[in-house]
Amino acid sequence: MSERHDKESPSARITRWLVSGPPLLFLLLLVAIPGVIMVFASFRYPGEFGGLAPLVAADPQTLHGLTIETYRFFFGDFIYAEVFIKSFVMALATTLICLVMAYPLALLIARSSKQIRNLMMLLVILPFTSNFLIGIYAWMIILGPQAALNQTINVLLGVFGIAPVQLLFSPVAVMIAMVYVYLPFMVLPLYTNLEKHDPVLLDAAQDLGANAWQRFWRVTFPLSQPGIFAGSALVFIPAIGMFAVPELLGGTGDIMIGNLIKEQFLGTRDWPFGSTLAILLTLAVLLVVWIVARLSARGGRYA
Amino acid sequence: MLHLYNWNNYISDTTIERFEKQCACRVVQDYYSDNEEMLAKLAAGATGYDLIVPTGNAVEALIRQQALRPLDKRLLPNLKNIDPAYLDTWFDPGNQYSVPYAYTITLIGYNSEKLRGMDLPLDSWAVVFEPRYLEKLKGHVTVLDSQRELLAAALKYLGYSANDDDETHWKQARDLIIRAKPYWAAFNASSYIKELTVGNIWLVHGYSNDIFQADLDAQNAARGFRILASLPKEGAVLALDSMVLHKSGPRPDLAHRFIDFMLDGRNSSELTNLIGSGNPNLAARPFIQPEIAHNTAVFPGRAQQARLEMLRDLDRNRRRVLSRIWTEIKLR
Repeated sequence: MSERHDKESPSARITRWLVSGPPLLFLLLLVAIPGVIMVFASFRYPGEFGGLAPLVAADPQTLHGLTIETYRFFFGDFIYAEVFIKSFVMALATTLICLVMAYPLALLIARSSKQIRNLMMLLVILPFTSNFLIGIYAWMIILGPQAALNQTINVLLGVFGIAPVQLLFSPVAVMIAMVYVYLPFMVLPLYTNLEKHDPVLLDAAQDLGANAWQRFWRVTFPLSQPGIFAGSALVFIPAIGMFAVPELLGGTGDIMIGNLIKEQFLGTRDWPFGSTLAILLTLAVLLVVWIVARLSARGGRYA
Repeated sequence: MLHLYNWNNYISDTTIERFEKQCACRVVQDYYSDNEEMLAKLAAGATGYDLIVPTGNAVEALIRQQALRPLDKRLLPNLKNIDPAYLDTWFDPGNQYSVPYAYTITLIGYNSEKLRGMDLPLDSWAVVFEPRYLEKLKGHVTVLDSQRELLAAALKYLGYSANDDDETHWKQARDLIIRAKPYWAAFNASSYIKELTVGNIWLVHGYSNDIFQADLDAQNAARGFRILASLPKEGAVLALDSMVLHKSGPRPDLAHRFIDFMLDGRNSSELTNLIGSGNPNLAARPFIQPEIAHNTAVFPGRAQQARLEMLRDLDRNRRRVLSRIWTEIKLR
């Protein structure tokens, strides 16, 4: 690599900077710098009316300076770790359900004729044309106790002698809406991957005596692993920080780490602890992504 | 031109128009939907507001930050209209900076038809916290998604002050809440008005203005039921919003004129008729629609009035302790 860089012409170098400059600047301004600010804020004391206590104070009586009390508070008992684990499980479940639902769909689209394919892709991205919160409010109506869906389910449950259930304000409602929000993020990378597969490979496998299941399991599936990992990352990472869905559709026990962080900034006015939670969440997600990247590097050898 | 920084939907258009005609000036409004948002915006350096209408604890914060201009009471002859019970409050002794505008009470709202014949003690927080009553309402109750409000209701039911900050009392309140939680549908601060109106939710712990709104909506939709409010006998939280002058306001003269204008009975009554807010102005009573004026949940008698409490701000350590208890409540 370095050899090629040495031989790079000046104009190529300028082009490279022009291309990578804006996103780099964007990341620096909107990710790196705020990140550093958050790390810094997590080591400070909360201000009296919200915000942060001053770093230096003229009057030594007022609270000021740096502290690790928020980290001590977090690791002082298990409850916050429990919220992390709970969010992790919710995000993982969302990812798996999305994967199971998206894979056949992506495969179907990738193997359709070209005109139908474009139409189907358009349908997949159609939900993006409206804000997802509007979709969530629609789900509130669909899942409501007086809506046909809930009533039909309860009639069916009644036949089997099972007590009626309520869909709205339940973990089920949260799960449904999470899958609804993130499904396209799984379909898109899967489709992009599956569409590139050379059909000749499947023909060759058939000629060698592989049945339909073997052709899928030993040819298509291994080749699609990069798509699976990409889609899973796109679903899992935002899902673990979700707060709007559990807040609007969740019941009395559906709290996720996103809700907890939001509460620190608005309700409790404890910015340092909110920052600590956000940083620990980021670290946890990075850890997961790193593990997945390792796995995909190993699994992706077919691609 | 008068710059007013006010809550959403917290003044009637007719009132504004009348003032504009009277003073030959224009009123420019900016809106906020909670005190924290307003404080944050001011802390970030927003200026130019003549008048703000914060709740008690936010008034106190602004006074402590020295962000307010003292009132000149010679310019406010109508101040005599205010019920003395709402003057000389803890957040502004002697009313040097603030004049009461309107109030909200956090109470019980319920569906008149669905609860008919259930024989529930609707005049007590017991109906929100006791499983033996909640059994009949399982899945049809919401409580406010607010740490302070819910804790205050639980503390009141246990016989403590809403501002009690003894941790053992907090833990008792926590256990009470966790025991009642399986019967509640959700912690909700946003969509419970709609859910009440539609008839999905039958009983709420909510704000008096919201319950009034749900009742109006239910009547307009001809639902065949009413959403009624009840003030629990153990007492409840009162949130008093007051008019204050911000130091950065360029027109304190107009602001004083506006305050005195709003202290006039008829002008003051228009807000109550619009959103069902509590009104501390005695001269406004004759102008308030009888149905609202006779609602003892919003206009309680003396004895009940004494059991209402305003929430005071907690210090940062208490806030963190409460937040931990709240997380526990949400997780269990």
